[in-house]
Amino acid sequence: MTNVEGVADWDGRGLPPVAAERMRRAAEGAAWTSLLSAPAAAGLEVAGFDPAGEVMGSMVQRIGWSTYYGCGASGWYGARAQTITSGRHPQAGFAPYAHALESGWATAVGRMITEAAGIGADGVVGVRLSRQSLGNAVHEFTAMGTAVRARSATRPGRVFSTHLPGQDVAKLVLAGWMPAELAFGIAVGIRHDDWNTRQQRTWTAGNVEVGAYTELVNDTRADARMLLQHRIRAVGADGAVIASLGLSTWEIEPGEGHTDHVAEATIVSTAITQFHRSREAPSRSLTYLPLKRSRS
Amino acid sequence: MTADPTQLGIPEDAMRRLAEMRPGQATSLFTSDLSVNEFLLVREAGFRPLGLVLGSSIYHVGFQFGRWNKNQELEVLSQAMYHARELAMTRMEVEADQLGADGIVGVRLDIEFKEFGSDLAEFIAVGTAVKSDHPAPEGRTWRNNRDQPFTSDLSGQDFWTLVQAGYAPLGMVMGTCVYHIAHQRFWQAMNNIGQNVELPQFTEALYDARELAMSRMQAEAEALHAEGIVGVQLRSHGHRWGGHTTEFFAIGTAVRPLRADHHIPTPQLVLPLTD
Repeated sequence: MTNVEGVADWDGRGLPPVAAERMRRAAEGAAWTSLLSAPAAAGLEVAGFDPAGEVMGSMVQRIGWSTYYGCGASGWYGARAQTITSGRHPQAGFAPYAHALESGWATAVGRMITEAAGIGADGVVGVRLSRQSLGNAVHEFTAMGTAVRARSATRPGRVFSTHLPGQDVAKLVLAGWMPAELAFGIAVGIRHDDWNTRQQRTWTAGNVEVGAYTELVNDTRADARMLLQHRIRAVGADGAVIASLGLSTWEIEPGEGHTDHVAEATIVSTAITQFHRSREAPSRSLTYLPLKRSRS
Repeated sequence: MTADPTQLGIPEDAMRRLAEMRPGQATSLFTSDLSVNEFLLVREAGFRPLGLVLGSSIYHVGFQFGRWNKNQELEVLSQAMYHARELAMTRMEVEADQLGADGIVGVRLDIEFKEFGSDLAEFIAVGTAVKSDHPAPEGRTWRNNRDQPFTSDLSGQDFWTLVQAGYAPLGMVMGTCVYHIAHQRFWQAMNNIGQNVELPQFTEALYDARELAMSRMQAEAEALHAEGIVGVQLRSHGHRWGGHTTEFFAIGTAVRPLRADHHIPTPQLVLPLTD
């Protein structure tokens, strides 16, 4: 609590002063810390990586749903509504909301990578991502993981990052694959409830697919997947293993008698790249039967 | 691990590859919902992941009129649960077909009731589309008898073991039955107070409902000319319908034999040092 004035002076560039100070001590060779479990540490040892230290990045921002007009369809209730997604309509009224989510994760991960680079690490494994609401539309985005250094003469020229724990990284590396970067696909979509949609929701409608909501969630997810593909291509990787596939939907009422539905899709993954070009993987699995009580 | 990692150039080659990465190099990208274990085992079984495939449907479940003092299937609800899952599954299969896949592994079927409507639910099917490096034995295709990609809810580990043992998945098969168990009449309830007795009406209702779900699943497997069904799960879901109405849902993977014998190498016994 002594350096509150120092925090207030920080202009948002680089790392906050306390984090920069911790990294300076770590780079000078203070005892390293890690978030690794025992199997993760053993796996990294086998694959040729040494832990360098625990790293984290965080970012707090206010994210308001900034569009007063919702989908923008107010006034004409007879017309058939359209699904508007952030990926295909970058100028949509709610675009700042989608950008805020993207920059929240990108900034938190970026600060974590800066810390790792500062202590001379080659990558960060076992990255945990969390988003916490602090009330009043203020959210904290956090990324934390364990920085590692490869026992190799070549330096990769970039800091790799992955959500995979150390033992999974080891299995991938021994099979000829290398994690490259945490890759996100984030999209937001909105759709006005038109007359047709309202009819499909009444209790007399019977068994019926609600076409508008189905389109909304499918288009929003499709957008997130498209953006993820672009990201993996931009990284230069060969593919990605997905960590989570999240979707939330909610209802907003931007005006009297005007209801819209919003969908938010977030895909978190690690882009991976193949360095072993032969057809057969270098390691083969053994079939074994563990001598322990099975769970069922 | 028998080989020495440093002899294989690990992590030297891995670091070199990272240093050489350039944007937009890859010709075909894949995304996969599999865990690392599953991903590596699917590769070892001779399949390449093509991409994550997904199908979804938001469905309005209709209102059921019924006589609540009688054991009965609630057909409107059964149909809704079946139709919506079918929509989601079919959309996932279409995505896989467009990628030119031989099959879909690790399929998950989920239902999520939405906050903004009590009778609205999203039905979602997610899996990883795969393509084989080699045709199936005897020059046959891996696709099923409808020339559609096979589907399977087996994990990558189970899929690997199944293929090793000389079986191929044909498709996920399912059956559902939403059943209402009659409310007890007043005098019945009075007679049973303080006694440990079987309630034959309840027992019979549960037998009936499960039988309907399982026989529907079997009928689907027969339509695929399957030899059998593996990994069957028989679940019961209360969803949002209260204590007397339950969905009985049977799901499994229909399989066909790839060869006459089904031997796999005898597994080694190991004693793990972890829980």
